[in-house]
Amino acid sequence: MKTAAVVGVVVGSVLLQVLLAQFAIGGRLSFDLVLVGVVFVALQSGPVAGMLAGTIGGVMLDLMSGGLVGVGGLLKTIVGFAAGLMGTRLVVAKPYARALIVGAATLLHSFLSLGLQAAIDKWSGIAWAAMLGETAINVIAAYLAFLAIEALPGTMSRGRTRQRSAWGRRQW
Amino acid sequence: MLSRRRTLTLFVVLCLGHVLLISAQVQSGQGRSVLHDSAFGAVAAVQGSSAAVTQGAGGLWSHYFALVGASRENDELRARVVSLESELQAERARSAAVTALEQALKLQQSVVPPTLAARVIAGSPAPGTLTVTIDRGTSDGVTANMAVISGAGVVGRVIGQPTAHAARVQLLNSKSANTGALIEKTGDAALAAGGFADGLLRLELLSSAANVAVGDRIVTSGQDLIYPAGFVIGQVTAVNGSGKSREVVITPAVNFSHVNLVLVVLARPAQPGGDRKPTGEIKR
Repeated sequence: MKTAAVVGVVVGSVLLQVLLAQFAIGGRLSFDLVLVGVVFVALQSGPVAGMLAGTIGGVMLDLMSGGLVGVGGLLKTIVGFAAGLMGTRLVVAKPYARALIVGAATLLHSFLSLGLQAAIDKWSGIAWAAMLGETAINVIAAYLAFLAIEALPGTMSRGRTRQRSAWGRRQW
Repeated sequence: MLSRRRTLTLFVVLCLGHVLLISAQVQSGQGRSVLHDSAFGAVAAVQGSSAAVTQGAGGLWSHYFALVGASRENDELRARVVSLESELQAERARSAAVTALEQALKLQQSVVPPTLAARVIAGSPAPGTLTVTIDRGTSDGVTANMAVISGAGVVGRVIGQPTAHAARVQLLNSKSANTGALIEKTGDAALAAGGFADGLLRLELLSSAANVAVGDRIVTSGQDLIYPAGFVIGQVTAVNGSGKSREVVITPAVNFSHVNLVLVVLARPAQPGGDRKPTGEIKR
């Protein structure tokens, strides 16, 4: 995966997260599409790309949300690195396998976030419902995105073939 | 492709960089930066446009297509207006009596703080951060630390530097959100604090001798110089333990996940004893 593609995936997922934030008022729905993007990059390109994507995406979200800059960056760097390592050790070619990695990454991110918050401020307890809800939404979003990405090259080549054959018929 | 050792080194360097960045902000206590404000400005513009599109589409549906039950709702609302008008007349009469008493006793006049209606256009892009963005900013007179309320009670306060047409509001149940509070029945002062996993508030710094029971209404005290006194925070729904380890749980009056329209209080509470600045966050 080229650097431009990595940056494109991260920026695209941040933009999508910002646009869909109107459905997350007061914690109504909780989702982290940036994390999905980071895990995707990590599984495609390995731990280095994963942690760099995590750093960029996390810091961007920190700046936009008004919290301490670096908290999201640190968490997503760790998760990107871990997901990259998993991608190099396990066979995760199928969309459902990748979506499961996103689920594991979301849980890891949530627990690390709780730990970091306890270290900086105070222990707030675990909101299981919100955490599992966020994991479920992330897994579904990731599964759909990975399915679409997997189907994209085939759809494009079929389209090209159809165009070519139509052009051939016209010449005939 | 980097070697394993270099990869690990890069990972450690990145993590240390983030830790140093966080420590620098925690130690200096400076929350905001120009970068923060610029990022918020850009995000607010995007969110404002997307909210306008979504709400426009929603409005088209609800105003032109989904009119089933509108007539019945209209009748109910007419009845409610009549009832509220009669309540308003009674309140006006009471207010006139209070004003007359204040003048007779030469007391400081009670002032109803001016408010500004605002629409909530988005939540926070970062999951777990309980802030919302409203469509009013500096051009409407909104500044940092102004209280934000709704019909039900206190919503939160404006944090950071608002842009011309948007401001960020920290909800009362978010991390490090606190407000000076009073138990309405007894007048005992305490601190209503947010940041708990269950989304409820806790009453802290409450005297162990204070009498508190389930069902007690908690209102703002005005001591934090952000929220004017007397606004409803919520109701006590549980009192666990006793003595110093007593935990008082408050269910907020406002359902934070369904705030659509809010009021920004454009005036600050009177400052007793000189020009104290609002602290925003009270140290516990």
